[in-house]
Amino acid sequence: MRWLRHPNLYWLVSIGLGVVFVWASVPKIAHPVDFARIVYRYRLAGPTADLGVVPANLLAVVLPWVEALTGLLLASGWWRREAAAVAGGLLTIFVVAVGYVLWQGIDVGHCGCFTVGGQGRGAGWTLVAEDLGLLAAALYVMLVRPREPSSVSATAPLPVA
Amino acid sequence: MLVRPRRIVVILVAGAALGLAWNALSGRGLALARNAYLREGDETIEAAEARGRLDQGALFLDARPLAFYQMSHIPGALALPEDDFDRAFTALEPRLRASFDVVVYCSGFGCEASHLVARRLKERGIPAVVLSEGWPAWQEAGYPIKEGPQP
Repeated sequence: MRWLRHPNLYWLVSIGLGVVFVWASVPKIAHPVDFARIVYRYRLAGPTADLGVVPANLLAVVLPWVEALTGLLLASGWWRREAAAVAGGLLTIFVVAVGYVLWQGIDVGHCGCFTVGGQGRGAGWTLVAEDLGLLAAALYVMLVRPREPSSVSATAPLPVA
Repeated sequence: MLVRPRRIVVILVAGAALGLAWNALSGRGLALARNAYLREGDETIEAAEARGRLDQGALFLDARPLAFYQMSHIPGALALPEDDFDRAFTALEPRLRASFDVVVYCSGFGCEASHLVARRLKERGIPAVVLSEGWPAWQEAGYPIKEGPQP
């Protein structure tokens, strides 16, 4: 499993995951009302008679920015492992949310993954599989320590001419 | 330590703060206490108010798919499914035009059908209000329901 610690693979997965997160956040940030309507259909944060609409609306307002910030950190390398931990948490919530609507037989119509308007894709088991793949990537970035590149080591002394 | 929990908290708090700031300042934000399905001009009423209007002779319209209506509905309500609006409206039009108070409901929890039906009725000159959170709010309040396909 030595190849898993290859620095190029580590950076590639990390930047790729960051790009996916930023890409997914943009339409939600641009169209918060449409995204809130999608959040309602998942029925995990209301609206219900007891909860009202505020928890679901707050989730619709806050989630895309946490997603965007996480993506930017993953892509830029700042606090990469912590960003990967947040990404892992978000992806776990997505898997639970999609699994819940599939289990309950709720038709959300539009999964709200990478778009929020028009005829988007629904919530299906393929989506669960994709989210699990991204979750594996997030755990990889969070837990694996990449090797130092062999030609340029931070600890080895510089060669003397 | 590989992951510093404090940084995770900072990411979550900063993301939340950015979200709230964007929502307040961008001009395209969402009113946090308002149902995202509501538009300017939509009128909604709570279940208790709807119950009062039912007793006073308001006409209730069930905007859910017909199969839901046939299982159970608000007593006296007529089926006007959003997904079959034109046909159902034609059949009900004389009755609707003779009604002074129309209340539309659907499945609640993010259901848009009642809002769509109320807007279409308004476009046709029939004022209609929406029962906020629809059928679940009615049921949770313990108000009477009618089972079967008859109004």
